Amino acid sequence: MEGIDDLHLGTDVQIVAPHVANLAQMTRVHDTAYLNELAAFCQAGGGQLDPDTYAMVDSWSAARRAAGAGLAAVDALRQRDDGVAFVVARPPGHHALRDRAMGFCLLNNIAISAAALTADDERVLIIDWDVHHGNGTQAIFWDDPKVLYVSTHQWPLFPGSGTAQEIGGPHALGRTVNIPLPAGATGDVVRRAIGEVALPAIDDFDPTWVLISAGYDAHRADPLANLALSSGDFAELATMVAGFAPRPGRLVLFLEGGYDVGALRMSVAATLGALLGDSYQPEDSTCGGPGTEMVHQARAEWDEAFHRAWLLTPSERRVR
Amino acid sequence: MRPLQTIAVGFDGSLDAEAAVRWAFELASQVDADVVVIHAVGLLEYAADRGVAVELEKTVERLAREAGIDSARVHWNLADGDPCSVLIRAGVGPVAADLLVVGSRGQGAHAGLLLGSTSHELAEHAAVPVVIVPTGREGQ
Repeated sequence: MEGIDDLHLGTDVQIVAPHVANLAQMTRVHDTAYLNELAAFCQAGGGQLDPDTYAMVDSWSAARRAAGAGLAAVDALRQRDDGVAFVVARPPGHHALRDRAMGFCLLNNIAISAAALTADDERVLIIDWDVHHGNGTQAIFWDDPKVLYVSTHQWPLFPGSGTAQEIGGPHALGRTVNIPLPAGATGDVVRRAIGEVALPAIDDFDPTWVLISAGYDAHRADPLANLALSSGDFAELATMVAGFAPRPGRLVLFLEGGYDVGALRMSVAATLGALLGDSYQPEDSTCGGPGTEMVHQARAEWDEAFHRAWLLTPSERRVR
Repeated sequence: MRPLQTIAVGFDGSLDAEAAVRWAFELASQVDADVVVIHAVGLLEYAADRGVAVELEKTVERLAREAGIDSARVHWNLADGDPCSVLIRAGVGPVAADLLVVGSRGQGAHAGLLLGSTSHELAEHAAVPVVIVPTGREGQ
């Protein structure tokens, strides 16, 4: 929130009160049994869910508000038919699976909003620039042709998924695009990755909404990973992905990771500044890091996997 | 069914995981199989002191000596991910394990609930058979 304050936007920023996501909204992407267990676990005092993920008594409520904040953002944009929304909420969501908490995530916030949109026959592009692969989001929409999931992430790194050969299920071939990048990759490499590998799939998909898993742990100062982006890179990425939205009022960013407070503050401000036409850019964008070869390799592997899958008959695709 | 060639066992340093590793070593010695001891490197451990993994590897070496298994049969594997996901991948990925072995409750798994239980998740999703070793029951 301090990053947003840095922009001095005044009344151009409207704070939208979050909804509390209800069971019907959550069960579009999570199993009812999991939700019941998570609620009971928190009510009983919480504890460690996995080596990274901890829940407390209030975590159930916080998670439902984080998920509901995305739904409120979508509603607000629909009413205004203009602007962009930034969901500043934690816990994050993109590792949360249909039936399991994981990697600091309890509920998959962006997936809950995307599923609400696809229920209204929207086509949702999700771009995940968090440094970690959003395994939960990918798994939830693996076989859903109404969602195109695009991820750039450091490789190898937690959670260990997200290869370029993962292209979607039999009903959604080509609706998953992963671009793994090596440690040290700079902003120009990430932008090239999206432009060279994902852009054809995005053009083909023709999204009606764009949702961003906006993690800021790809920043060079972040302690949990080793990509080398600056806050200026996030401004350029934001400008790039905003171009994928069909019109104003169809872009929502969801905060995911980002564990260096100073970098997070600068990067959020740079992102929003770019989306609002502000020149605020506290750090120059970066270039010259490794990863171009991996981008080319991802393009080749995705193409090969896609064409191999289409050579199979429909029944063979289902079996696999 | 083909003979057991590779056994993968999860290890997070807990007593339950030690029991699982001992059981896997004993089985491997009986059937002449390799054992891949897998440690999942999570979000926080990635940022932490690498000494954690070094100490865990030393523990595995000690357990191997105590079990009397040929050290050439034991392979230490650090894998990025949560414990459940890395073990599931061990059944299909480059490790290509024929059998997965876990303790009944590793670090972070909550007693009494299915939530977060690696062993339960494995049983549901693994592509190969799974053995869950209760604490204190190894060797029986």
